[in-house]
Amino acid sequence: MILSHWKKLGYTTKPVKRMTLSDLKRQATLQGQQTEALETGRTRLMITGALMALAFTGIGFRMIDVMALSNVSEPKTRNISQSQNLTFDRAPIVDRTGMLVATTVKTVSLAADPRKIMDPQDSAEKLGQILTDIPVAKLYKMLSRKAKFVWVDRRITPTQQQKINALGIPGLEFRTQESRVYPQGNLMAHVLGYTNVDNKGISGLEKSFEETLTSQGEALRLSIDGRVQHIVRDEVQKAMTEFQAIGGSAIVLDANNGQVVSMVSLPDFDPNQPGKASVESHFNRTTLGVYELGSTFKIFNSAMALESGTANMSSSYDASKPIRIARFTINDYHGKNRVLSLPEVFIYSSNIGSAKMAEAFGAGYQKDFLQKIGMLSPSPVELPEVGRPQYPKTWRPINMVTISYGHGIAVSPMHVAAGVASMVNGGTHYQPSLIMQDTKPKGTRVISARSSKAIRKLMRANNIAGSGKKSNAIGYFVGGKTGTADKVKATGGYADRARISSYVAAFPMHKPKYVVYVMLDEPKGNKKTFGYATGGWVAAPIIKQIVTRAAPILGVTPIDPTSEEVNRELALKLPQDSHT
Amino acid sequence: MASEIGKKELTLTQKFWQLNWGLILIISLVASVGFAMLYSAAEGSWDPWASRQAVRFGMGFFLMVVIAVIDIKFWMRLSYILYGIGFLLLVAVEVFGQVGMGAQRWIDLKVIVLQPSEIMKIALVLALARYFHGIPIEDIGRIRTLIIPLLLVFLPIGLILKQPDLGTSLMLVAGSGVIFFLAGVRIWKFALVIVGVLASLPVAWNYLHPYQQNRVLTFLDPERDPLGAGYHIMQSKIAMGAGGMFGKGFMQGSQSQLKFLPEKQTDFIFTMLAEEIGLVGGLGLMGLYALLMIYGTFIAVRCRNHFGRLTALGVTTTFSLYAFINIAMVMGVIPVVGVPLPMVSYGGTAMLTVMIGFGLLMNCYVHRDMRIPRNWREM
Repeated sequence: MILSHWKKLGYTTKPVKRMTLSDLKRQATLQGQQTEALETGRTRLMITGALMALAFTGIGFRMIDVMALSNVSEPKTRNISQSQNLTFDRAPIVDRTGMLVATTVKTVSLAADPRKIMDPQDSAEKLGQILTDIPVAKLYKMLSRKAKFVWVDRRITPTQQQKINALGIPGLEFRTQESRVYPQGNLMAHVLGYTNVDNKGISGLEKSFEETLTSQGEALRLSIDGRVQHIVRDEVQKAMTEFQAIGGSAIVLDANNGQVVSMVSLPDFDPNQPGKASVESHFNRTTLGVYELGSTFKIFNSAMALESGTANMSSSYDASKPIRIARFTINDYHGKNRVLSLPEVFIYSSNIGSAKMAEAFGAGYQKDFLQKIGMLSPSPVELPEVGRPQYPKTWRPINMVTISYGHGIAVSPMHVAAGVASMVNGGTHYQPSLIMQDTKPKGTRVISARSSKAIRKLMRANNIAGSGKKSNAIGYFVGGKTGTADKVKATGGYADRARISSYVAAFPMHKPKYVVYVMLDEPKGNKKTFGYATGGWVAAPIIKQIVTRAAPILGVTPIDPTSEEVNRELALKLPQDSHT
Repeated sequence: MASEIGKKELTLTQKFWQLNWGLILIISLVASVGFAMLYSAAEGSWDPWASRQAVRFGMGFFLMVVIAVIDIKFWMRLSYILYGIGFLLLVAVEVFGQVGMGAQRWIDLKVIVLQPSEIMKIALVLALARYFHGIPIEDIGRIRTLIIPLLLVFLPIGLILKQPDLGTSLMLVAGSGVIFFLAGVRIWKFALVIVGVLASLPVAWNYLHPYQQNRVLTFLDPERDPLGAGYHIMQSKIAMGAGGMFGKGFMQGSQSQLKFLPEKQTDFIFTMLAEEIGLVGGLGLMGLYALLMIYGTFIAVRCRNHFGRLTALGVTTTFSLYAFINIAMVMGVIPVVGVPLPMVSYGGTAMLTVMIGFGLLMNCYVHRDMRIPRNWREM
């Protein structure tokens, strides 16, 4: 019986061998296990089925809850008011003086339903007399197309609309839509950005304030001053032409609250017709571009040395020999080959001296300091186009050394302007902002008033005895620091003749009101500069022009350049006077 | 005795009459509900959805019957091959698949556009069933025995996760889990895996795509972003609440007809049904699904061979998960994952998957009394 049962189960189809007793026993236990397995299987099957049934019952109850018991529906009135909100026209944008820089106008476009046009030829001829810039043949083609809908002209004038209406041709229809118009054209291209055909902001402030602009009626007020913006753009443009630079960037920033008064990136574009500009001109060098900015970083390096207490204004550093770190040799550009004081290191822009300063306070302090003044994260300015600073992941000694004079770290010009403001304004860091603020923003203290005063003296001294002489706007006590850095090639390594030349300044230096930053991308020297294209030769003169022209508008009054009081405030004893 | 052996060798006609006609009736009812809703979704028109769905159902129905009457051993033999093909297709999708709606899930075979992850839902069930069928019961407790099936499960899931398709991956994990459970894997091993998964959740969170993180956050608080990621769920709940006990009437649902409700012909079709036919209609459809599930479970219980039982329950689980996840999703019980409502949502691949699944389920029913030994291949 067992045998036949096995056979039925199909365990063997071979001729049945004679079975020994042990074989039978083994099969009996096997059968026991089989039955047991079948039982476990059944139980588990029922458990699974029950669990699934439970899940279904659960959502069944949930359904009764959602549909019959609870009142999940939102208050209906809220929905209605929300949809009303959406019908707001896109709010205008004005500059800090109230000048209109972006606005929305209703424009009319002409469309047609060709199926309803009875006589395409006649209609085309009549229309052609009104829409003079479209040939009649083309109009005829449009009106006789086999379609339900064609655009005839996306923007017609009110007069044209009235005349077309008077024609009374059935099948023509007007559609009104909102169009964004930028009355100032290129002036604030990179600040404002632009909208797409559906009037939705897709770059610049138009994008980051999309929600505010579409939900509130009142204008968005910028901190940008259109008049200053015009001057800055004009000067940078001129310098770019003169030195055949491929690009330029400039910022004027209120040193005491972080408000950006002017922000320019060239080449720029006309936001009224963004599609017509080159891709290159859509790139915002001022906030999205990150560059190695070279010696301007020595402002921060000196501040670190003073603030950390590892140096004072009379500390001195041996810059007579190049220093070697790992496989690198650090050299000076304007080598003096002697012991330099801290102010001399700054004025002569000594890389060796800067490196030695940094060695005294160390890499950890350097990194924390840069973090504190916002150099290691994207600029908090309200634009969507902000670049992420690039810096080494692990901060090795060689990185610390190169960063001390502004290499091996890339930040945007906006970072530098905001950072320098905090160095000269008494030591408070403010986040840069493009929007007019009613209240003074809360800053964070990053250095002491004493260190800040020392930095002011250093920057002023650089304008008297160092590389910044060409930026002196008479009566405004300009002080600053140059920066010239070779550009990194796409293939790695530094390019020979392609450099970033910049100058960052503040004025008036005894009580700084504004920070001005100017940068030219790949300038070429000319006869007037004796072939030089460094920051001191190409960028500093732009600062002078901007300060001279914009200071009266910004309400900064000139001071007698010989004013004893001011000069004493900024006096700095330069030890080299006794040496040379 | 001869008659009992004879059951193995049913003729085609006999097999045909052995088909589970009750099951077929319920399947057809559910599909008809789908046609009606698609007709309503298109504002009272057979085009573009209802007619095509009907054609697909017809094709699926034919496939189902054919699959049901073929000898079960044929499917056993084919299971690894099917799995292999499914896996290769997944690899192919990874290499040159089409990107649609931000995910790379489709592969264009010129004739049809295929979604290999759907094939895998069936193929994985078959492969696992065959593997466990061939394992002696005393070996099931050994970890070594579980290595191959675990690989069978996680290799395709890795690829599907990469597409990325979290919903399908989770369904495959759950479906395979049930088969492991049924095969007799010890409970403490499941506990171990569940604890492990829970512990790794915080880490996994960082690997989720931002849109997936958003969905989970929105699930926890739909009002967080009522016009953005939370829009679907808010609209869905409003529509359901508006339906009430008996609904607003066929083709009268204002939320769905006025297009407040997104994806109403696919993932959110249940909401539309609830709005138009009300709680009664919703519970009715859920009842039909529950009946299918019960049928499936009992077919599994009745099955005398291990392969058939595992396949039947695997298929039933997969199908029930589809229905459960979709309905729970539209009611905001679980986060939004793109899982269609089986046989009702518009969509070709899902319909075919489900119908093939039912074909296999019926195949198990037709061959329920057949005994297949562990070493069936040596026969």
